[in-house]
Amino acid sequence: MIRPLFLAGLLLACSAAGATTGTAARTPAVSEIRATLATMPRGDAARGKQLNQRLMCASCHGNDGAAPTANWASLAGQRAAYTYKSLIDYQHNGRHENPRATLMRVAVTGMSKQDMADVAVYYASLPPARPAVAALDPAAHARAERLVRRGDPARLITACASCHGATGQGGINETPALAGQTVDSFVRTLHDYRNGLRITDANQGMRQFAQRLSAEEIRELAVYYATLKKP
Amino acid sequence: MGTLMNSPLLALVLMAATLSSAHAAAPGPTGEAMAATCAGCHGTEGRLGTGEFMPLAGMKEAEFIRAMQDFRSGKRLSTLMGHVANGFTDREVRAMAQYFARIQPGAR
Amino acid sequence: MLNRRAFLTAGLKAGAALAFAAALPARAQGPAGHVVVVGGGVGGATAAKYLKLANPRLRVTVIEANRTYIRPYGSSEVLTGHVAMRDLDVSYDVLKSKYGIDFVFDTVVGFDPAKKTVRTAGRQSIGYDKLIVSPGIRLMYDAIPGYSAAAAETRAPSGWIPGTQTALLAKQLKAMRQGGTFVLIAPPKPYRCPPGPYERAALVTEWMRRHNPTGKVLILDPKDEFVTDATMQLGWHRLYGYNIPTDYLKDMPAGVKNSGRPSPIEWVRAKDGGTVEKIDTRTLAVTTLQGVEKADVLNVIPPMQAGKLAFDMGLTDASGWCPVERRTFESSVHKNVFVIGDASIADAMPKSGFSANTQAKVTARAVVDQLAGRAPGEPVWENTCYALAGSDYGLFVADVFRLKDGKIAQISGQRYLPLDAPLAKIRLAAAYQQAWLRTFTEDCFA
Repeated sequence: MIRPLFLAGLLLACSAAGATTGTAARTPAVSEIRATLATMPRGDAARGKQLNQRLMCASCHGNDGAAPTANWASLAGQRAAYTYKSLIDYQHNGRHENPRATLMRVAVTGMSKQDMADVAVYYASLPPARPAVAALDPAAHARAERLVRRGDPARLITACASCHGATGQGGINETPALAGQTVDSFVRTLHDYRNGLRITDANQGMRQFAQRLSAEEIRELAVYYATLKKP
Repeated sequence: MGTLMNSPLLALVLMAATLSSAHAAAPGPTGEAMAATCAGCHGTEGRLGTGEFMPLAGMKEAEFIRAMQDFRSGKRLSTLMGHVANGFTDREVRAMAQYFARIQPGAR
Repeated sequence: MLNRRAFLTAGLKAGAALAFAAALPARAQGPAGHVVVVGGGVGGATAAKYLKLANPRLRVTVIEANRTYIRPYGSSEVLTGHVAMRDLDVSYDVLKSKYGIDFVFDTVVGFDPAKKTVRTAGRQSIGYDKLIVSPGIRLMYDAIPGYSAAAAETRAPSGWIPGTQTALLAKQLKAMRQGGTFVLIAPPKPYRCPPGPYERAALVTEWMRRHNPTGKVLILDPKDEFVTDATMQLGWHRLYGYNIPTDYLKDMPAGVKNSGRPSPIEWVRAKDGGTVEKIDTRTLAVTTLQGVEKADVLNVIPPMQAGKLAFDMGLTDASGWCPVERRTFESSVHKNVFVIGDASIADAMPKSGFSANTQAKVTARAVVDQLAGRAPGEPVWENTCYALAGSDYGLFVADVFRLKDGKIAQISGQRYLPLDAPLAKIRLAAAYQQAWLRTFTEDCFA
């Protein structure tokens, strides 16, 4: 069962080696993302749990989807559509924002759509992580909460919650959950958007907001979501 | 320094420090010495910018210790960290953890 | 005695309190001194940098023949075009500007251990308090009958020390006739980079699948085993249909079976007649105990000894390598002289860049301790060699080393990528290998 897949994967890896570095990363069209999500297979969480180990995902993202070290993204409680879309982006060579993306492009080599759907629903089935992070002081909390709930109309920043949910649980389509995300990963992601290094957001949906946020606001939002308690 | 050195008490303290530092060579390498073995991948002083490897500078002590324990037991999957973690004693892991926790994170 | 001398050379005045003062571990103002490092490879560069990190007040001078370092690790990737020759270049600029290390681009031609001076070809006499020598290896071209340094520059390149021979070998590989044979002669132990010859053979085989699909790689070996042998051969088997020798086959994961068909890569061990008796560099005929193999491209990795400088300085013993006191790597021949890297006798430690890097750090600390009148601390060394069986197929050996009964012993348990490792781990190991090339270079040179 595993062996033929193994060899097929190997051959694929070899033939893809050239292509991986050849094609330029680009922003997928909204229609493309819709089509990707529409054809996402029905996931099997139990199989996803096995793949989390066999494909080495757990090494960085945790046995239970909670990143064992602050450096990596937690995936527990993540919306399946977001995880699935991200894996497709990696496999389509769209993610080059930092050297960690290299590891992910390698990790998704040979993953089938079914594999991706399985791990995606597995992570979605897990309760969000609770990073061990000290909460913001009241003033900073108020600033972050204002951005989350009201945004900043003067800078054309939409409230984070309008897409990512009132409790950071994620929204429609591929909009990710943010609650329980590690601070490092959140900050890095926003900076990668801000610096135009991460470009797989349709219509520059995240890039345009990230570019209007200060580094301090990004850090405060990261801590806000990392320590967000469910009502 | 000269006047301080004249204090017999301080001389005693210093002698004790000398003895204990000579003695300290016995139980094992210092945290800094241990940490230097990580630098080939994890950066000098554990400081890395953005990279494939985990930057260790500024890592919380408890997080480092748990990571090493989990690598060692195999609870946490790894390519080769399990092998390396197996080569360190608990005392050494703690010494490294304390060393890295004190280092300012970020690229050198 | 040694401690006391270190004091005096450091220019401190003797006094009753000084012994205590110097023993204070956290003293910000350690006694400065002059450490000269001969050889700017991995060992020398790392030593210079870590000396400065340990005590910025030290004067550190590196004497190195070449203004740019050409890194040997990862240099086989030039053969497959994955990197260009210029990608191997490493600058010394950061060591100069960021750490204030002095560089003298010259060759050491004289050494007076009594006066503690070295003399360069440019007629400089440089005094030192401590001398760290990192001379690398010497390739013994003449050890194989028919081979020579001249042949290595023309008909049968070695390229084990990267440079013009690496570029020449890449050119010869590209120009090889379709269906030709690339013969690699592997070295006897001990030698630099234990998995290296086999990684090179693998990368050439992978390259040929695309560019010379009927070509062959033949490894002729005076040994019966090599570091990472089982994992490397499993990689060859999976990627190129390599036929695994029967004695290795029994440890392979279930289902691994030889096809029996000819494979584009073949390893002839000593026990199968792989030991080379002579080569003819005109016809590229290689004579082994088993007969004559005709090469189209011949890559010879000859036997090795410590770098020539180690011999000139009288630091070697009958083995051709440099005996050292293991705790500090201080030469067993000359006091205040330390020999690190490939040239040193380091027991269980392989001759690798990673070994040289951790040896340099231990020795730098010991030198700083000695200059400050402290006893050197407990050493610990590490080695991690990543190797590729293909550009997406990584494997490794990883070890922690300690002092045990005056020798350096490998103390961690499992050393290799397990034979039943999942493909994801194998692919990640290859990705980490590429990442390591960068982080490692930074730790040594920046």
